[in-house]
Amino acid sequence: MRFSLAIFFLGILFLYPLTSFATILDIQTVTSPKGIKAWLVEDKTIPVISLRFMFKGAGAVNDPLDKQGLSQVLSNTLDEGAGEYDSQAFQAQLNDKSISLSFSSSRDDFGGHLKTLTKYQDTAFNLLSLAMTKPRFDKEAVARMIESNLVRIRSNITDPEWMNARLTNDVLFNGHPYAMNSGGTLSSLPKITPNDLRTKYSSQFARDNLVVAVAGNISAKELEDMLDKIFGNLPETAKLTQVENAIQGNASSITLYKQDIPQTVISMAIEGVLHSDKEYHAAEIMDFVLGSSGFGSRLTEEVREKRGLTYGIHSGLSEMRHSTLLSIGTSTKNASVKDVIALTKTVMVDMATTPITDKELKDAKAYLIGSVPLNLTSSDRISGMMIGLLADNLPTDYLDERAKKIQNINKDEVLAISKRALTPDKLKIILVGNPEMSDTYKTVLSLPNVE
Amino acid sequence: MRKILFLSVLLLSCPAFAAMDKVYHADTMTLKNGMQVVVIPNHRASVVSHMVWYKVGSADEPKGDGVSGTAHFLEHMMFKGTKAVAPGDFSKIIRSIGGEDNAFTSWDYTAYFQSVARDELPRVMALEADRMMNITLPENHITSEHKVIIEERKSRTDNDPQNLFAEQIRAVLFTATPYGEPIIGWKNEMPKLKKSHMLDYYKTWYHPNNAILVVSGDVTMEQVAPLAEKFYGIIPQRPVPDHIRPVTPDFPAPAILKFESSDLRQPVFIRAWRAPSYVTNKDEALALDILTEVLSGGASTELYQSMVVKDKIASDISLSYQGDARGEGSLWLYAVPAPKISLESLEKSIHQKLMQLVEKGISTEEINKAKTRLIDSEIYARDSVMGPAMVVGQSLAMGLTLDDVEMRPQNISVMTDEAVNKVFKKYLHPVTPLHLPVTGYMIPNGDK
Repeated sequence: MRFSLAIFFLGILFLYPLTSFATILDIQTVTSPKGIKAWLVEDKTIPVISLRFMFKGAGAVNDPLDKQGLSQVLSNTLDEGAGEYDSQAFQAQLNDKSISLSFSSSRDDFGGHLKTLTKYQDTAFNLLSLAMTKPRFDKEAVARMIESNLVRIRSNITDPEWMNARLTNDVLFNGHPYAMNSGGTLSSLPKITPNDLRTKYSSQFARDNLVVAVAGNISAKELEDMLDKIFGNLPETAKLTQVENAIQGNASSITLYKQDIPQTVISMAIEGVLHSDKEYHAAEIMDFVLGSSGFGSRLTEEVREKRGLTYGIHSGLSEMRHSTLLSIGTSTKNASVKDVIALTKTVMVDMATTPITDKELKDAKAYLIGSVPLNLTSSDRISGMMIGLLADNLPTDYLDERAKKIQNINKDEVLAISKRALTPDKLKIILVGNPEMSDTYKTVLSLPNVE
Repeated sequence: MRKILFLSVLLLSCPAFAAMDKVYHADTMTLKNGMQVVVIPNHRASVVSHMVWYKVGSADEPKGDGVSGTAHFLEHMMFKGTKAVAPGDFSKIIRSIGGEDNAFTSWDYTAYFQSVARDELPRVMALEADRMMNITLPENHITSEHKVIIEERKSRTDNDPQNLFAEQIRAVLFTATPYGEPIIGWKNEMPKLKKSHMLDYYKTWYHPNNAILVVSGDVTMEQVAPLAEKFYGIIPQRPVPDHIRPVTPDFPAPAILKFESSDLRQPVFIRAWRAPSYVTNKDEALALDILTEVLSGGASTELYQSMVVKDKIASDISLSYQGDARGEGSLWLYAVPAPKISLESLEKSIHQKLMQLVEKGISTEEINKAKTRLIDSEIYARDSVMGPAMVVGQSLAMGLTLDDVEMRPQNISVMTDEAVNKVFKKYLHPVTPLHLPVTGYMIPNGDK
């Protein structure tokens, strides 16, 4: 019975439209009279507009070293008053019209997100335009936002996953701007002044590092006018400091921040595979089989399903503009930390020496291609997908091209990239907890970039 | 004549009254075995979210047996095989067709869902219907999964003292009732969970007449109904017990919890009150939602503007209402003192602020603004496939009707100012609230 059911499922797989003829996302490119470009997916079924934009390279990586958290505070204060509106008046305008406007900073980039109902779109575009052209950075609002970041850090201090992220940054990117805490530190945040914010705002936001993605109920014509209104007065070029690539190096290490808690939070990382690498799509399949898929992945099978050693173990390829990583994250009771690390290494070695099975290859392809539409079910998700593609300099037909490329990958290509990428002897391991283990590890006594 | 006058007054005082419509335009029917079927059409992408909601959660676990966490452990074991599907294969099959799946357990409900391409709907229905009656609970998988849920508890709760404190506040707020127990189970009771606990619970509650099927996405009721009949309609109905939701007793003294620890760095003030839920008192619940939107619905509203922006007593403050429950609901106030302000003076200021607001009453203007935001949020809610299935499923699983969900904008707009001010006075009066609150202080202590 079980066998025949499995065959039945395999049979159905072939019917799944792996390479459909319809494009996955119908993206128009729009250019305004002043030459501002945007990607647009128009949808008239729901009265919602979701707009995202990004100033590439204007993230925390371009903050001064003694002002960690500057981008973060800038993202918190751009909606705290602009033009004639002080903080209260600006927030009231947004709130009374149910408009959500937020800014965010990653290590690489500075982003913005506006979501509005069509009936309030004029107010929404006006407010965003004001925020982009005449932000106030009033002393009171800046102080309030700095304090709210200090509260965030002081509140996170008991969260072992947050602690692990702080330590991981420092271990992986030691000496590189990525090692800094993009959220700021308890001592750096109070040093940030309205003038610092003005300087960053006026020098790093420009037309040459701007990308825009819009989804929802707006026509290309309306969008063109809106683009000029919001972004038309930005300076031509951004002044950004050139950042070197971060090199991971070959040395493996184990670093521990000891905490008296029952479970150790573990992160492990090695050099990843770049998007531009011709083996990238094979690496996506490798990552899926290794651990990105959760259930069914080798790591989940070995560590969670067979042995019950964790609630979750995941792998993921991540790319920043100056670095690429393959990371594995998990947590386990202090007594089994050693076992979990050993199992992880065994799984990596296994994948680097033996081809994955036909079924693993087939299932990975089906998921990596088939799950894309599941993430395109709302205006926010569609604009989010587009801004991600724009951030990585990918073309409008990327999703379709990716599907075709993944479809053609064979087991040998996955083995080849696994041999190259899955190198447990280079693994950097970061632990927060009280693990019982005999390996030599380096213990740090205070978390970097917190105080 | 009087009636017409009444209507015109109503129209003036009700924001967006004319433009209102059903929120999701969902269709519903009931199978012969009592299983409710809801379809929420959304043809934006050729995908569907398929959910089965069981009207049962951790609050329905047997009492006095010294174990807790059965509902959640069973949810995990639902992935560990049936007579037809091998342990662990369920999720692998879903991945292999390009889909996502997961499940979650609450005090009042347990839900299982898959998001897949539209054409795969029959297959996920077959799989979900299969595990409604055929799970095998193999002993070796119980052993390994038992360890997994204990690790899960460590990750969620035991590893962070702030989460342990939150668990304690809730236990005191809902003293002696199931809502006071953590869904995942108490640390000392989880190790005692056995197969028999799960099997009894499964046989008692997992029946089609105690479940709701919700399908959202690129489908219609015409397409779903025959499939629902085919896969779920053949499962026999069984008698299901009543849901017992004890009411927390009122005690003479307010409960005050002081958590002093050298692990903490940030002082925090927390206060929680018991309140009605949408199931126990629909009108009061809606009034409480409007009230919390007035007081704490964004940075421009009363509590943040007065305490944080103007008076600089707090660095942060928020009030939230949890009305989604079959039994009692709750109100939660969370505040962080501004630098150099003690928790005591913060508490005193909050007391004064609430007193002043309760006595003065909330103005029509503020209430109308809050109503507009809440009604607008219902339009945003349609911009999703999974979101509407979550809202509808959760509401029905707690014991509300589809009309309660669909007509929410209308219900919001006709709520009176008096009703909003009345629940304010009744549940949040700083001196004479109907139920005394629980207060929690997080106090950093030491030089760590």
